[in-house]
Amino acid sequence: MRVLVNLFGTEVRLRQEVCLDLPSPALKDILRALKDQYGGPLEKFMKADLSAAEGCTILVNGRNIGSLGPEETEIQDGDEITFTVLAAGG
Amino acid sequence: MKGICGKLLEIDLTSGKTKDSPIPGGMMEKYLGGRGLGARLLFDSLPPKTDPLSPENVLIFLTGPLTGSMVTGSSKFVVVTKSPLTHGWCDSYSSGRIAVELKKAGYDGMVIRGRSNYPCYLRIDDRGVEVREADWIWGRDSFETERMLKEMEKDPSVGVSSIGPAGEKLARFACINSDLYRQAGRGGVGAVMGSKRLKAIVVKGTKGAGLHDRTRLVELNRESYRRSQKSQVAQARKKYGTPLTLNITHAGGILPTKNFQFGTWEKALEKIDSVGVHKSFKSHKPCLSCFVPCSLVTEVAEGRYKGISVEGPEYETLGMFGSNLLIDSLPVIIQANILCDRLGLDTISAGNVIGFVMECFERGFLSAGDTEGKEIRFGDGEAALAAVEMIAYRRGFGDILAEGVKAASQRIGKESSRFAMHVKGLEFPAYEPRGAFGSGLSYAVSPRGACHRRAWPPAKEILGDYPPFTTEGKAEMIKDLYDQNCVLHSLLVCDMPAKFIPLSLDDYSNYLQAVTGESFSTDDFLNIAGRIETLIRMINLREGFSREDDTLPHRTLFEPLPDGPAKGQFIGLENLNRMIDDYYACRGWDSRGVPTEATLGKYDLSGDAPKG
Repeated sequence: MRVLVNLFGTEVRLRQEVCLDLPSPALKDILRALKDQYGGPLEKFMKADLSAAEGCTILVNGRNIGSLGPEETEIQDGDEITFTVLAAGG
Repeated sequence: MKGICGKLLEIDLTSGKTKDSPIPGGMMEKYLGGRGLGARLLFDSLPPKTDPLSPENVLIFLTGPLTGSMVTGSSKFVVVTKSPLTHGWCDSYSSGRIAVELKKAGYDGMVIRGRSNYPCYLRIDDRGVEVREADWIWGRDSFETERMLKEMEKDPSVGVSSIGPAGEKLARFACINSDLYRQAGRGGVGAVMGSKRLKAIVVKGTKGAGLHDRTRLVELNRESYRRSQKSQVAQARKKYGTPLTLNITHAGGILPTKNFQFGTWEKALEKIDSVGVHKSFKSHKPCLSCFVPCSLVTEVAEGRYKGISVEGPEYETLGMFGSNLLIDSLPVIIQANILCDRLGLDTISAGNVIGFVMECFERGFLSAGDTEGKEIRFGDGEAALAAVEMIAYRRGFGDILAEGVKAASQRIGKESSRFAMHVKGLEFPAYEPRGAFGSGLSYAVSPRGACHRRAWPPAKEILGDYPPFTTEGKAEMIKDLYDQNCVLHSLLVCDMPAKFIPLSLDDYSNYLQAVTGESFSTDDFLNIAGRIETLIRMINLREGFSREDDTLPHRTLFEPLPDGPAKGQFIGLENLNRMIDDYYACRGWDSRGVPTEATLGKYDLSGDAPKG
């Protein structure tokens, strides 16, 4: 499966294409695979238990995984996953 | 009490008389300062139904108990007046040395009435105020004005606030500039200043309001600094500034695009977002008394605008002059930012109004014959820049646009009001509410019109786990966000460090105790916020506002968003009404939005109820 990864933090990376070999399309499996394959840059955004690190959040296609239900959400090919700090205001 | 001076400077520009006026006891306990004190003063001093550009309107500059105290983000002031855009309550915030200098000169604020017979400026120091002739700076832009006044003072450290030509010409979204790049931008406070023929205010003080416990304050600041160093949010903010927000709103599908027709714009990425702006990064620029320098200075490296530089552009300018106008040239946006700052226009309202004109051209509602031969179309950066100048100087069609998007749409007709994006006459800022319904409620019930600073709902609906396309719980969410910012805007500190360090109301309670010696709990703060928001509601009710004014444009209510994560979403009248009903109930207001007797009693405002 191919997903697009955005990082919005002290480093900004846009639309990084990542190909994943997955046991299932469940979000938690995607996050685990991303952590294993994409590695370092995600460490600031995600804890070992795959939850968002303090001051951070994870969006799937612009929706917070908390409002989607992380357990039930399934990822489709081409989906966009955003790891972002809780930047506010402008 | 330490931290506050206990007096205001009152200036009547008609008579030229000035006086020091003590602030009645108990005001800080009931209203804190800033927005809260402004609400009390405007309620008490503004004759109902006053023309905002008449001598009878009052222009109030206020600090808060934390201003000038070393608390991070505390070099802020608020301008409170009756808005010439909305004809209702207006509070407009800015950083600026003037805030700190005013306090050092011994004043918590100033109340300006009347209209001078000649262009004038105010010169304030420890000894009081002089009204001075300003013929020599009238007509100058804000940058020149500030430079000339500092040269005249032979002191670059004086605080200067001024208006540009837009304020002099009474453009209804003219701003007040301070320290070159800082603006009290929203609601047309610069036009009110211009209507009084007041070009500038220069302040230099040497004293101050004192501190209750300096050691404790230093400790608290050190702890906040340590937290900011550990905070990823603060560090990201320091590196990228507010342009990072553009990546978030784009990802969430709430980036205003093509006059709020769309919610995403792929071309924005890496051109006018955090990545694009960072390529033009020159230096950091913190506000006075802030240790998180979240403002970036940029400079154009090549091309037609090579060498121009600005403190910014901030997210709102990138959104309103970038995606909203389909302009993907950062140099053009930087030039628009500089033009607006120099001429004294709010970049948010200016970008919004120009987007509206571009859509009128696209739909055939306007042609070059209406605009002195100039076509103003989406994507045309040069046309946008020309429009800024037309508005600021009220040249030709710019005279109509300078009235604001609501008045312009009424003039143009042809159902253009359907895409005139405003609430109560104040233009939408750079958040598309169809992708986050709480933003719609926040815009609708805001007493100053479509406002992004009373609450920042994307924190909950995009970054947080509130479902964005529902109404449940949104009223409580908005009330809580409003009340938190109301406290910060009354204390008066920047609401940004609170979010990205982060600092809680408990933290600010500690700060306030160190500065003034007075103890306030978070519950005390929130009760004061409820009082302030209710008093502001009463000001607008007295001005003739009603529930019918708490609404949204046709586009937001009825047109489905065609793209992005919020594709197909629109708020709908039923949803809006449900959220408003809930919001009024949370506030203790009846179904018409009128505070109940019980609510007035709770907030000790019964004496302010309409008579008869």
